[in-house]
Amino acid sequence: MNEEQQQAFEDLIYSYVGKVVCQRMPAKDAVNEPMIRHWAEAIGDNNPAYSDPQWAADSQRGKMIAPPAMMYSWGQEGFPVVAQGRTPDAQSELVERFNENGFFGTLGTNVKQEYFKEVGIGDTVYMEMVVDNISEQKATGRGIGYFFETLATFSDQHGDPIGTQRFRVLKFIPPAEQAAASSSDNDEALEVPTRIASPRGHDNKWWWDACDEGKVLIQRCKNCQTLRHPPRPMCGECQSMEWDSIESTLAGEVLSFTELHHPKIPGYQYPLVCAVIKLAEGTNLVANVVGCEPEAVHIGMQLQGKVEQIDAKTMLPQFYPA
Amino acid sequence: MSLRAENLTPGSSHNASLVSDLKRTQIVQYAGASGDYNPLHTDEVFATEVAGYPSVFAHGMLTMAMTGKMLTDYVGDGRLTQFGVRFTNQVWPGDDLEATAVLQSIEEHDGVKLANFEVTTTNQDGAVVLKGSAQARVD
Repeated sequence: MNEEQQQAFEDLIYSYVGKVVCQRMPAKDAVNEPMIRHWAEAIGDNNPAYSDPQWAADSQRGKMIAPPAMMYSWGQEGFPVVAQGRTPDAQSELVERFNENGFFGTLGTNVKQEYFKEVGIGDTVYMEMVVDNISEQKATGRGIGYFFETLATFSDQHGDPIGTQRFRVLKFIPPAEQAAASSSDNDEALEVPTRIASPRGHDNKWWWDACDEGKVLIQRCKNCQTLRHPPRPMCGECQSMEWDSIESTLAGEVLSFTELHHPKIPGYQYPLVCAVIKLAEGTNLVANVVGCEPEAVHIGMQLQGKVEQIDAKTMLPQFYPA
Repeated sequence: MSLRAENLTPGSSHNASLVSDLKRTQIVQYAGASGDYNPLHTDEVFATEVAGYPSVFAHGMLTMAMTGKMLTDYVGDGRLTQFGVRFTNQVWPGDDLEATAVLQSIEEHDGVKLANFEVTTTNQDGAVVLKGSAQARVD
């Protein structure tokens, strides 16, 4: 989806905010013992207020009540919805809009109930429902999506409020569809492979970190001033382990080279010339020669290097004909 | 039996086991009792082959209702005024669930004392499957 399509899509879905899903209507059955008993059994609740008519008759209320969290069950349409499909309403239309645009995933995420009045045997629960709010687009653990929330209001046969229920649902693009959606829409968003990452250990991390900053450093013995590369802990001349570094000017000449043909490795650009380069400071460095045909590269060729961004993750010195 | 405000201190908690080895049959009974026959919860073939889940899973509302039983057992029936939850993980057949309510505060409005609880339900691996808050009238 590009920006314009997303805008149009959001205008469409946000137009559902405030729409009535169902007008106030009575549940098919009045509050009754068998439905309460089945519900209480299913959740393992043996509270006598819900299950023991004798106990309930002797109690202060004088009758059996329904468990508070059962409030929404009275208005559920039940099996016919699965068997015959739901009669279209604002909620099912909204869900359809999400599905049409790839947001197939559905997950109930939050429920909030408020209870104002108990309901007991013989009461009738009335329900009305609206689409209350829809979030902006969110990147969630499940995928990109939107939360929408319905608000159901419950009342009894006298019109007295019983309670409310807010139900929040996440509609999201499942991960497999996400990849498909972005590749058809936006090819450049696909990840470009990068070069093999430099291994950074205790003795050489400092060198690569400097390279990331655009500098090529050469290690120098603090005791005898001998330069060395690649980085290592001890001076080969005097065995001192004290060292510092100088920055290379990256002037150099080709000591030896090869052209890599096969196999081609993802993340590397071909033709690919790899050379051992003698730097003006005296140490050798392995790097690519670029900026000329491979055929033009020869031993003794004078080069000038600079540190460049090779791909999204890699900074490396590259050497050009001087 | 009901709770008395003077016996409650913020931070005190109440917990209860909700179910051990949740059966598919119980999920199906809840579908029937609540009228929510979404096949994700009742039809193993649909849940696995069409929807791509490892099996059917419990209605969030079943977890909420079982947690609600822990609350109403604790505060007494007819006392709960608010109960809101977030479903943080799915609940699968075979799960053991345990719920805890921790008292946060007690407030008083027009002579009515209201206790605020934080509610958490976890599975056998210690993963939180439901997190929420509840409010109940106390004496």
